[in-house]
Amino acid sequence: MTGNLLVFLGAALASAVEMVETLTIVLALGVSRGWRAPLQGAAAALAVLVVLIAALGSTLEAIPLDLLRLVVGTLLLVFGLQWLRKAILRASGLKALHDEDEAYAAEIAAAEAADRPAAGLDRYAFVISFKSTLLEGLEVAFIVITLGANQGATAIAAAGAVVAFVVVVGIGAAVRHPLSRVPENTLKLVVGLMLTSFGTFWAGEGVGLDWPGGDAALAVLIVLTAAWSWAFIRLLAREPRTVAA
Amino acid sequence: MRRAWHGIVDFVVGDEPWIAVAVVLLVAAAALGAQLGDDAWWILPAGVPAALWISLVRARRATERQRSS
Repeated sequence: MTGNLLVFLGAALASAVEMVETLTIVLALGVSRGWRAPLQGAAAALAVLVVLIAALGSTLEAIPLDLLRLVVGTLLLVFGLQWLRKAILRASGLKALHDEDEAYAAEIAAAEAADRPAAGLDRYAFVISFKSTLLEGLEVAFIVITLGANQGATAIAAAGAVVAFVVVVGIGAAVRHPLSRVPENTLKLVVGLMLTSFGTFWAGEGVGLDWPGGDAALAVLIVLTAAWSWAFIRLLAREPRTVAA
Repeated sequence: MRRAWHGIVDFVVGDEPWIAVAVVLLVAAAALGAQLGDDAWWILPAGVPAALWISLVRARRATERQRSS
C-alpha cells in the first residue's frame, strides 16, 4: 500500500516537473503563432508516449522480478542521481535555477522570428511542440514504466502521470502563462530522492541483498537520502560562488 | 542505429558519466557481497552518497575553474 502510494507520488511529481517545462513551450508557441499546430504537435507526441508506456509497461511486467529489479533498479539509480545532482547544484547556487519566465520569453522570440506558412499547417509550431513534448515526456514515460513495472503497478504510476497532466494543463489553460511560481527545483529534488531510493532498494533486491526490515527499508532509504542530500546542499552552499548555467 | 544508441546512452547517462560508472561498480560490488554470503546490504546506501559527493565536488571545481579563467 505504502509502496503503491510512493509510486503514485513519484510518477505524479516527476510528470509535473516535466509538464511545466513543456507547457511553457506550448504556451509560447500558441500565443505567438496560434494554437492549432502546437496543440496538434503536443497531442501527437502524447499519443506516441501512451503507446510506448502501454507496450513497454506490459512487456516489462512479464520479465522475472529479480532480473527486472536489477536492471531497472540500476537504471533508476543512475537516472535518480542525475536528477538529484542537478537539483543539489541548483539549490546550493552552483548552477543557475531554471527560470520559466526567461524560457517563455526566449521561446516567444524564437517563434516570432521563424517563417510562417501562408496557408496550411504551421510546421515550425507543430515540430517544436511535438519534439519538446516527446523529449520531456520520454523522461516521464521512463519513470512511469520503471516505477510501475518494478512494483507491479504500471496503472498506478500512469494514474499519477495523468493526474499531474490534468492539474498542470488545467492550471496552464486557466492562467495562460508559464507556471513560474511552481517550486520546480524542490520538486526535482524530491523526485530525485524518490528515484534514488527506489533504485537503491530495487537494485539491492535484484542482486540478492537482504534489506534489514524488509520492505520497510525503502522508507528508511528515502529518509537517509533526504538527510545526506540536505547535508550536501549545506556543504556546497557554504561559500558564495559564481553561478554557472 | 549508432545515433539511436548514442541517444539512449545520452538519455540515461546524461552529462555526468561518472555517476553511471559508479552505480554499475557499486551494484557489482553489492552482487559480489551477496554471492559471498556477506551481510552486504550497506554497500549501496554507503556507496551511493559517496559517488554523488565525488561528482558534486567535480562540478564545484569545474565552476571554480570557469570563474578563474
